[in-house]
Amino acid sequence: MSGVACIDWFRKSRVTLGLFGCMLLSVAGTVHAEVSEDEFQHLHQLLAPSADTVWRSIPWKVELLAAQEIAARRQLPIFIWAMDGHPLGCT
Amino acid sequence: MLDRESTFAHPQIVSLLKTKFVPVALDQAYQRRQKDAEGDYYRKLAGQGPRGDFRGTTQGFYVGTAGGKLLFYNNNRDPEKLLRLMQQSLKQFADLKATEADVAAIDPGKSDVQYNPTPPEGGLVVRVRAKVLSGYEATEDRWQKIFQNAISRDNLWVSVDEHQALCQGNVPRSLQMRIAKYHLVDNTRGEPPMWRDAEVRDVSMKLEDGLLTGQAHLETADGKRGFQVALRGHVVCKSDSIVRLDVIAKGEYWGEGQYTRNAPPGKFPLAVSFTLADGTDVADRIPPQGSRGWVRGYLR
Repeated sequence: MSGVACIDWFRKSRVTLGLFGCMLLSVAGTVHAEVSEDEFQHLHQLLAPSADTVWRSIPWKVELLAAQEIAARRQLPIFIWAMDGHPLGCT
Repeated sequence: MLDRESTFAHPQIVSLLKTKFVPVALDQAYQRRQKDAEGDYYRKLAGQGPRGDFRGTTQGFYVGTAGGKLLFYNNNRDPEKLLRLMQQSLKQFADLKATEADVAAIDPGKSDVQYNPTPPEGGLVVRVRAKVLSGYEATEDRWQKIFQNAISRDNLWVSVDEHQALCQGNVPRSLQMRIAKYHLVDNTRGEPPMWRDAEVRDVSMKLEDGLLTGQAHLETADGKRGFQVALRGHVVCKSDSIVRLDVIAKGEYWGEGQYTRNAPPGKFPLAVSFTLADGTDVADRIPPQGSRGWVRGYLR
């Protein structure tokens, strides 16, 4: 029932219950549909990380001094990816 | 987001990072402020570049030595340019090897706890991912395509009390509000605006026989941004510990934030997944985006 139809119905019926019914319908209209079990399964799989995501294959460290220790021991330079918000999370 | 799918998908860059460098990923907002040995080392390196004012952002790519010499700084998204700089830095590093040979590991000492938050003891870390399911206008723009196909990543922290409550079949109000405010967001195109308390118009979740169901209505006062969403998932507790937590939130989102421009027009379907972290992914150790600057506020 649309809002206009609801008001018409209330005017015609002149019953307080009619207004109450309109309010209930209005509230019910804001409730989102449930997620079904099939939809849950589908989306759970869809949002799982892909095994072949290239950037995830890089052996990132998240502690700078842990990287410094490895760099000193293995005689390698350190590559720092520094962002606003953590590059491996946040977005 | 863009760097993950462009710069760090470039085969030669990836190969070099795996074999010739020690790659580290940081939230520079923490490192540049840390009052500890790690902060000192970061500022020593970054201060040699053009972003030496630590009151502002120092984001970008840096290559440096264990001894603290900066070899290059770059904040350009062109993978070919970065590759050239990386190759040049390897030649520079080869020339420096003699001076770097005796460099020792830095003693971390006592960490600045403000910028080294750890998950609540006895609590949980939950991986959170989001994806816009449809609604984008077709584009040939390379960067927009990346955004349009993106799956975001964040972590949800659950306190020990909330962990115990879940095992008893309850979803505490504090956890419902944290999920709503900080994790039912569209962070697929950048750092998202989180929801304020007053913007959580409604949130309810219940747990019955391991089945979690719920709904939430989030909306700004001006109605320009919102999310009406339903939740469903499975929570399994064994011996007073959660061993499975898989939840999906799906609904209609509308609007965008300052750093999440180019959302689909009107209302569009957005899904958010929650999965218990097992510590096998390095990203499991990253604090939630919503906790930046105020972990206590995030966990309250």
